[in-house]
Amino acid sequence: MQLKSESLLCRDRVGGLIFLIFCLTYGYQTTLIPLFPGDEYEAFTARTLPWMLTSAGIFLSLLLIAMAQPDEKSGAVIGFDWRLLITFVVLMIAYGFGLTWLGFVLATSLFLLAGFWALGERRKSILFGASFPFVTAFWLLLTKVLDIYLEPGYLFLSL
Amino acid sequence: MLDGILIGLSTAVLPVNLMWVVVGCFVGTFIGMLPGLGPISAIALMIPITYGLEPSSGMILMAGVYYGAVFGGSTSSILINAPGCSSTVVTAFDGYPMAQKGQAGKALALAAYSSFTGGTLSAIMLLIAAPALAKVSLSFQSSDYFALMLVGLSAVAAFAGKGQVVKAWMMTILGLMLATVGIDKGIGVERFTFGLTDLMDGFSFLLLAMATFALGETLMGILKPEKETDSDMSVTDLGSMKITKEEFKELAPVSIRSSILGFFVGVLPGAGATIAAFLSYGMERNIAPKDKRAEFGKGSMRGVVAPESANNAASSGSFVPLLTLGIPGSGTTAIMLGALISYGVQPGPRLFVDNPEIFWSVIISMYIGNIVLMVLNLPLIPYISKLLAVPRTVLLPMVIFFSITGVYLVSFNTIDVFIMIAIAIAAIFLRLANFPLAPLLLGFILGGLMEENLRRSLMISDGDLSFLWERPITFSFSVIAVLVIVTPLILTVLNKYRNRPLAAPESN
Repeated sequence: MQLKSESLLCRDRVGGLIFLIFCLTYGYQTTLIPLFPGDEYEAFTARTLPWMLTSAGIFLSLLLIAMAQPDEKSGAVIGFDWRLLITFVVLMIAYGFGLTWLGFVLATSLFLLAGFWALGERRKSILFGASFPFVTAFWLLLTKVLDIYLEPGYLFLSL
Repeated sequence: MLDGILIGLSTAVLPVNLMWVVVGCFVGTFIGMLPGLGPISAIALMIPITYGLEPSSGMILMAGVYYGAVFGGSTSSILINAPGCSSTVVTAFDGYPMAQKGQAGKALALAAYSSFTGGTLSAIMLLIAAPALAKVSLSFQSSDYFALMLVGLSAVAAFAGKGQVVKAWMMTILGLMLATVGIDKGIGVERFTFGLTDLMDGFSFLLLAMATFALGETLMGILKPEKETDSDMSVTDLGSMKITKEEFKELAPVSIRSSILGFFVGVLPGAGATIAAFLSYGMERNIAPKDKRAEFGKGSMRGVVAPESANNAASSGSFVPLLTLGIPGSGTTAIMLGALISYGVQPGPRLFVDNPEIFWSVIISMYIGNIVLMVLNLPLIPYISKLLAVPRTVLLPMVIFFSITGVYLVSFNTIDVFIMIAIAIAAIFLRLANFPLAPLLLGFILGGLMEENLRRSLMISDGDLSFLWERPITFSFSVIAVLVIVTPLILTVLNKYRNRPLAAPESN
């Protein structure tokens, strides 16, 4: 039987391999779970379920590797805008840092502004109208109506 | 039972709870209408709000959002052929052709009336089935629960799409693995925390739900090239919403049949609204007269009524295992289970006894939700559907903002935001490789309970696995679980070998 290279390294098989590695790592970490003296005589310890899950996970990943289907059959989807996704991931990470350093209003407004821009929005009314005023209204709702305390950004605290 | 219904009614009709039903239905309709965002995302986005509410109000809000999202999904299926969620995919088969024929209003009205019929009939069935099941399940012991959870988890995987069974099991196992992170509840040792204090409490269920669904689905929307939709169609010009007497007579039995089928499919753990919609559509197409059968796929009214009745009935049906056994039947009810647990309420047979106001008010509010959807949402559809005209360039960053803020406002910890981003990226890769994510969430939510019940059962039986066959209930559930696990596997292997062409001897 001949295996084509594309079916040998199909997504199912790669997924199965990654899951196998994950399960092996999980299994190794299971051995590091501390046990109390006398636990070896117990019917159930903190390691029992993780061991069962490791075994089941290894079995299933081997099964997927063995039964893998070519990409066209498995329903895996191909051909996407990765650059835009990476841009958004970077924006979200920056937003996470911004929440700490710039505070909620500024970080969120800038995130929304950049997000609209990244998706191709160029109308100034939307770029600025749906970011700063919207976020300010949302901030007022949180702090004044729902009485949720939002810490100012570190940058402003250090001023 | 009457006492319970009265308690539920008095809780559900409190002005504040009525307000939450209305808010839930509207917000659910809005979110459900957005292509790609289904009921799971809609409910996940609501969780931070419900944390500040009474458990019964929170559940009522989530139930309203659930119904609203399913209804909203139908609206976008009919108007722009872009189903908001998987359970309304079938609605688009005939709803969109109807809209193209200038009958969008009628299709929407049919969807609303069918949803109402489905919701009403299933609420009545729920009213009868849930207390009966809850009484039976009061005699359940930990071994029965463990076996029942095995059935629930294996059924979810078994109902996964064709070729996805193994992947669904893998996701269930992954969910169970994630549930083991944190301090072990039995003896209090740390597991898989890598010394990080942020992981000692384990992963937050809200974070996982938001990352895998709300944020994950939105990021998928960014990753996908913009979907071609019929931009020429005006979403405000819907045509007449009137249904004639003859049409009513023809469609009422279809709706009733599909509702009953939908309810029972919804009760099965793992089956859910999508399978109910597909099954009822297939059933109606098969039993329709020849001339009506030919209309299916080209704008048949039966083709809209059947899936809409079934998916709504199944939505109610999926509450039966959640409220009576504490086992969620779908990804959506899994999120609700997580929310209930975080309120300190343990769903299951004791819920019926200990918190009758939650048990009954959810059931009653489902019915109120149906009325709200029909009386308030339907006339407002021309206005609500304007949301479909909001550009994706604005919507997607907004949904991301709500997802991140939802998690941040609960913990005020930016580490959670970063963990969420990491999980959402992993979720995207899993989606691309066609791994279903609902089993992951279900495994994660049931993981703690399952371990607890397994621990008790093994302790009682002194480590002997005989607890699996000693009690008739446990034995029955164990057998069902084994059958559910083994059958699709055997079928897949058999099909694989049956379809494999015989190797020619000379090729060796």
